[in-house]
Amino acid sequence: MEEELTPEYGPKWSDQRVERMLGALVCFVVGLLLAMIIVVFIKGWPSFAHNGLSWFGPGGDVDDQLNAIFLSGQSGAEYVYTFHAWPLIWSTLLITGGAVLIALFSALFVAVFIVEFAPDWMSNILQPVVRFLASVPSVIYGLLGVLVLVPFIGNNLISEPQKASVAGVISLTGYSLLAAVTVLTIMIAPLMVSIFSDGLRSVKPGWLEGSLALGVNRWRTTWKIAVRSARPAIVAGTVLAVARAIGESVMLAMLSGSVGFAPNPADGLIFIYEPSRPLAPTIIKNIDQLSSPPGSATLFSIAAVLLFSAATFSLAGSVARRAMRKYGAA
Amino acid sequence: MRIKSLAIAALALAGLAVPASASAKTTYIGSGSVAAQPVLQALFKTYEKQVNKNVKFLYTANGGNAGVKDVQNGTSQFAGQARTPLPSDAGTTYIKAFMDGLCLDVNKSNTLTNISIQQTHDIYRGLMTNWSQVGGNLTTTIDPVGRDTNGGTYNFFLQAVLNNEAPASNVNALTADGLVINAVKQDPNAIGYAGLAWQGSKKLHPLKVNGIPCQANKISVEPLKYPLSRYLFIVLPGDGTQSPKGLLKFIDWARTSKLAGEVILKAGGVPAFNKKK
Repeated sequence: MEEELTPEYGPKWSDQRVERMLGALVCFVVGLLLAMIIVVFIKGWPSFAHNGLSWFGPGGDVDDQLNAIFLSGQSGAEYVYTFHAWPLIWSTLLITGGAVLIALFSALFVAVFIVEFAPDWMSNILQPVVRFLASVPSVIYGLLGVLVLVPFIGNNLISEPQKASVAGVISLTGYSLLAAVTVLTIMIAPLMVSIFSDGLRSVKPGWLEGSLALGVNRWRTTWKIAVRSARPAIVAGTVLAVARAIGESVMLAMLSGSVGFAPNPADGLIFIYEPSRPLAPTIIKNIDQLSSPPGSATLFSIAAVLLFSAATFSLAGSVARRAMRKYGAA
Repeated sequence: MRIKSLAIAALALAGLAVPASASAKTTYIGSGSVAAQPVLQALFKTYEKQVNKNVKFLYTANGGNAGVKDVQNGTSQFAGQARTPLPSDAGTTYIKAFMDGLCLDVNKSNTLTNISIQQTHDIYRGLMTNWSQVGGNLTTTIDPVGRDTNGGTYNFFLQAVLNNEAPASNVNALTADGLVINAVKQDPNAIGYAGLAWQGSKKLHPLKVNGIPCQANKISVEPLKYPLSRYLFIVLPGDGTQSPKGLLKFIDWARTSKLAGEVILKAGGVPAFNKKK
């Protein structure tokens, strides 16, 4: 029996087979990822090359520009690439930022409640429910939004004078920032709650007990010790949520309003009722343009920007997490 | 145990796969227009069951433009298409298959009965923004609803109503005909457009266009009575003669036979060339 332990007698690689196979698999996956990023950037390059930094700037009607790009490829005329994506970027920032901000605070309180305050039977029910909510396909949220939320906003919240004040420019029909942010918040909050509560649960019990033993009350202990030492998990959850929010396309294509319009906070309250269209749904809405070379370059340039921002966020997240690791848990 | 159940599962899978591959049926692969899909599927079904039991059709509704692309690069043997040919469709032949009418719909709470092409144009170009400018009982802001740039319905509307001018920014462009209908059902101030197959809901109120109701019996080849009548095409590669004989036979049957005419009518289209008797 003992001979088997020495490498000369057994098959040489027997103890390394799994290791090498998994290694090859990882190389394959990383290679695939790199190839994907390279392809997206190469395909989108003509659009960046023609527009330079003004790709990200405002100027003109973005829908007219997309139309001109598409038609120039269809009719075989000289290719048009002019594209100023600011309304789409602004819409992405507003919807993603709004949803992540609201979800961050509500998810934090829900997670604290589930882990620290809820009685056992309640957190036993809440946890699977939250996990389930986090995995509901986004198109279902989109459907509910179209059938319930959008008509409610359109018929009950928006008044006739408000609609008349912007008539001919945009329609206030319920497809709006409000609908998009609300549903996106509902979509990403469960994801954050489940990661936050994992982080809170892994805080060393001794720290909490020490604080309680010193006479610090429960809320203060939770806020100052538990939440503080769970900060890496909070950052991780937020980064994941941001990535999901930026990339969300089906639901936003259904609810955000589909017009390349930049909602203006100076408009007052109707600002939240204004329609817009973020970057990711723009790809869905114009998917037919893949048949036109300049159209496909433009869509791939949008994809490249989305990829780049998602990568930046996850990088920033891991840097922040490393910096906070010294505070303890997770 | 586990190996046994795996083996059983594999056997069951193989059993499922065998009948499909063992049949000697000729399969024709098509793709394209979503608007033409309900009628085409009905035609396929009738043809497979009642005319020629040895053929089978596979149709993927991936949009008219994508369908033509598939025909150009040989992935599909035919495509359904709801718009007229564009320069980019080089190397394909369009065959008029049947007709459809594009209806203009408002919410049931709107008492407007008739609308002109010019008024529709003005609404979708953002020139008319209040129902009081059009007529009917409403004095509210119009919510025009349309399709996004994917698909033939948008292109047809662009050509027939908007004189190829892009719709105004206040038009809410939705991703599917069903969503347009849904939006009109839910919003008392909305107006939208969709094909004949989508009509028939009590919450919708189809308008007469230039005084002619949007009904199958008002849509005919010559003269084009209903102003928003359109042809739906079947697209074939090359000049249309190199396609398999069986496929050409089917297209001929769909265009001319009386049975096919009844099927088209039932599925929400309008037969164009089919024999009446």
